[in-house]
Amino acid sequence: MQKNPAPGVISSKSTPTPSDMPPRLNVLSLTRGIPFRPKPQTPWRFQPSTPVVPVQYRAFADARDGSKGADSTPLPHVTEEAAKIAKIEGKSGPDLEQGTPVAEIVKGDKAAQENLPKVMQDKLRAKTSGTSAPKGSRSFSTATTPTTQDGGDLGLLSFDATATQPAVPGVKFGLPVLPIPKDGHLKHRYDPVVDQVTKLLMRHGELSVAQRNMSLILNHLRTAPVPTINPSRPLVPGAPPPSHLPLNPILYLTLAIDSVAPLLRIRSQKGAAGGGVALQIPVPLGQRQRRRTAIQWILTSASRRKTTASGKGGFAQRVAQELISVVEGKSSVWERRNAVHKLGVAARANIVVPRKR
Amino acid sequence: MSSSICLRRLPQLSSESSIHSSIGSRNLLSSTQTSSFSTSTARFASPLMKKKTGQVAAPKRGAKTLNVKKGRGGSGRDTGRKPAIGERKALRKRIVLSNTNALEVPTLQDLTKDNVLDKAVEGKVMGIPGEVVDALRAVEAFKTSQGWSLFRRPAALMRKETVQIAELVKQVEAGEAKAKQTIRKVLVGDKMSGKSTLVLQGLMIALLRNWVVINLPDAKDIVLGHTEYAPLPGSTPTQYYQETYTATLLSQIAKANSEILSKIQVTSKPALPIPTPPKLNLLKLAELGAANPEASWPVFVALWKELTLPGRPPIMMAIDNLAHVMRNSEYLSADAKPVHAHDLTIVRHFVDHLSGTKTLPNGGIILAAETKSNSPACPALDYSIQLAEARQLGREVLPEWNPYKVVDMRVMECLRNMEVLRSNGLSKEEARAIMEYYAASGMLRAKVDAPFVSERWTLAGQGNIGELERASVRARI
Repeated sequence: MQKNPAPGVISSKSTPTPSDMPPRLNVLSLTRGIPFRPKPQTPWRFQPSTPVVPVQYRAFADARDGSKGADSTPLPHVTEEAAKIAKIEGKSGPDLEQGTPVAEIVKGDKAAQENLPKVMQDKLRAKTSGTSAPKGSRSFSTATTPTTQDGGDLGLLSFDATATQPAVPGVKFGLPVLPIPKDGHLKHRYDPVVDQVTKLLMRHGELSVAQRNMSLILNHLRTAPVPTINPSRPLVPGAPPPSHLPLNPILYLTLAIDSVAPLLRIRSQKGAAGGGVALQIPVPLGQRQRRRTAIQWILTSASRRKTTASGKGGFAQRVAQELISVVEGKSSVWERRNAVHKLGVAARANIVVPRKR
Repeated sequence: MSSSICLRRLPQLSSESSIHSSIGSRNLLSSTQTSSFSTSTARFASPLMKKKTGQVAAPKRGAKTLNVKKGRGGSGRDTGRKPAIGERKALRKRIVLSNTNALEVPTLQDLTKDNVLDKAVEGKVMGIPGEVVDALRAVEAFKTSQGWSLFRRPAALMRKETVQIAELVKQVEAGEAKAKQTIRKVLVGDKMSGKSTLVLQGLMIALLRNWVVINLPDAKDIVLGHTEYAPLPGSTPTQYYQETYTATLLSQIAKANSEILSKIQVTSKPALPIPTPPKLNLLKLAELGAANPEASWPVFVALWKELTLPGRPPIMMAIDNLAHVMRNSEYLSADAKPVHAHDLTIVRHFVDHLSGTKTLPNGGIILAAETKSNSPACPALDYSIQLAEARQLGREVLPEWNPYKVVDMRVMECLRNMEVLRSNGLSKEEARAIMEYYAASGMLRAKVDAPFVSERWTLAGQGNIGELERASVRARI
């Protein structure tokens, strides 16, 4: 599912369907997006690095969920159960406000003690056997060398988030904010465009080198002068003014790539036209594919630029210069994109739309 | 076995072919020109012949064939033209100290002569005034690896170690006129922990306090063997001086300290191999040495003699990448033996003051910084640092020398009584101060609050400043 619908491509699945609704059958929706540029565009949205997203749905179940049977309600906590029984019997049970330690419940109960987890059993045994070194202590030190003179503050002492009683019992660090922010997943923690460019910059599987080059590119974009936009080469609609770009290099990069990304590619269908000529059929591209094509064009034309600096950052600098020239409308990538679009327009008659029944 | 040629006809055959070479031979035997004793000619010739005659059928239309030839328009291939000699290196070594895109930080205050020694500046990011920036640039104190190019103008965090150096400066200035202190410190610390920046800040403080500043920006340049050298006449054991390097050093000294040096007149009569004008101030003297490389070393000696006369300003001497001068240099003596770095006159001059055999009569500080990224193995230096740290911390058990390592006694002697200043990680408060500066400059797009600072501080190996910069502003993702 596309998170950001690409400008110019109508996506039939741009709105997320709520999970409780049946999957809808939209007869009118097209099987694939049609390349066509509508007039009004969604403005460019700034995405803060720490988005504040209101909680829309929960990932956990509670009593108000659809199921209503007696068996569907989960068993209460052992303390709550004890309190309920005591209430029925008319006695004073354990106080629900304060948690009852399990060790206290099983204090005299040998049979219950056997069913305890091993950690607690060890603890009980250690208590009865007397003072001995705790389990798992080593004869050697595993401490790291403190970098500060006054002791081993590992950055946890002044971190007071966990000092207070957790609001939800059993959750030490509080519940995560839902939905999980975009960069909350380990494998998708970087900006999608930056990640894609980094992977395409990579040669011989050397990701770290590619990451350094990416960093150099972004820093070059930050330090380069403000670009002057060529009105005959308009950027993606809703782009911020050029003076905003150097301070937001990721946006700069995204803007350059999205502006020259082609909407389609030409597929040559062999034998379809007859006489040994391949039939050229325009095929719409997805957002990621469009970006991939644009990045590869940019990288190719960057490699053709004149080398200006020796050392490790030479190629990164040329890529950054190419990105700037794309935004300024000077790059040859624009012609390449226009050629593809022109061919796509010429070949649109070759599209065979499957007949609806 | 029968021979292919009748042996009786062999002499005839050779004469016939040589005489009637132009006429087509009618002799059947003459068709075999190759010697039948060897089969290799025929064997190696056959595939070639085949290639010439037999043509491989063209691939079918549309069939995909493997083509590994170069120049097929790969996206990452470097096909650009090569630039002129030295142009790319110049671009690589270029020091950029300003980013016009970065925002001006309104709360940024400049350091002045008065507030630089003040305790109140500790933990704050302070701007470096323009004339000091020029002087620091002249002595090559800024390095390309540091992040100066990202911000509007040079500013640095006055961290705990910086304030310690400021304390030392204060201590030297407070000394009695007769017994001024000479403080010697070796800056040690982890990789990217800000040792070179500490040297820079030391020089900055000295410049602000109107000291004379002498900086050897990279010890590697001295011992690398890239500048010409010659034995110093009349020295036993033989020392070597480097004309060009000394001349460059003199010009740097002149540029960085022009204001102070121009006020001091030469009082003694230096014996120089070049004609000198009668009235001379120290700036003119240094410029004279810079302009005449052949006289640069005598000029340097004369300048030093003038600077150490009573009533002259204190001196700050600094060197970076110390390990390079604690071993044999790349130079060779007349009998093709390697020259020890301590036998080079500039290094000798510095090392004498670092070891304490010579002191600065007007007071001063000798700073030496080690490097973790480009330094040769130097067991004597490593051991001396460990020993000095153990002594400073008052440890009872001192480290012992590993007997399996080759000891360089000159280095051991030189570093016998040295003191170290360890560049630790930043504290959380310091980290917060510098991250707020990053955010105010527009280079860090995040809300700087306690959890964020704590996270980045931990990611940066407990506040290693280089890693902190990399994790927050360098966009290393």
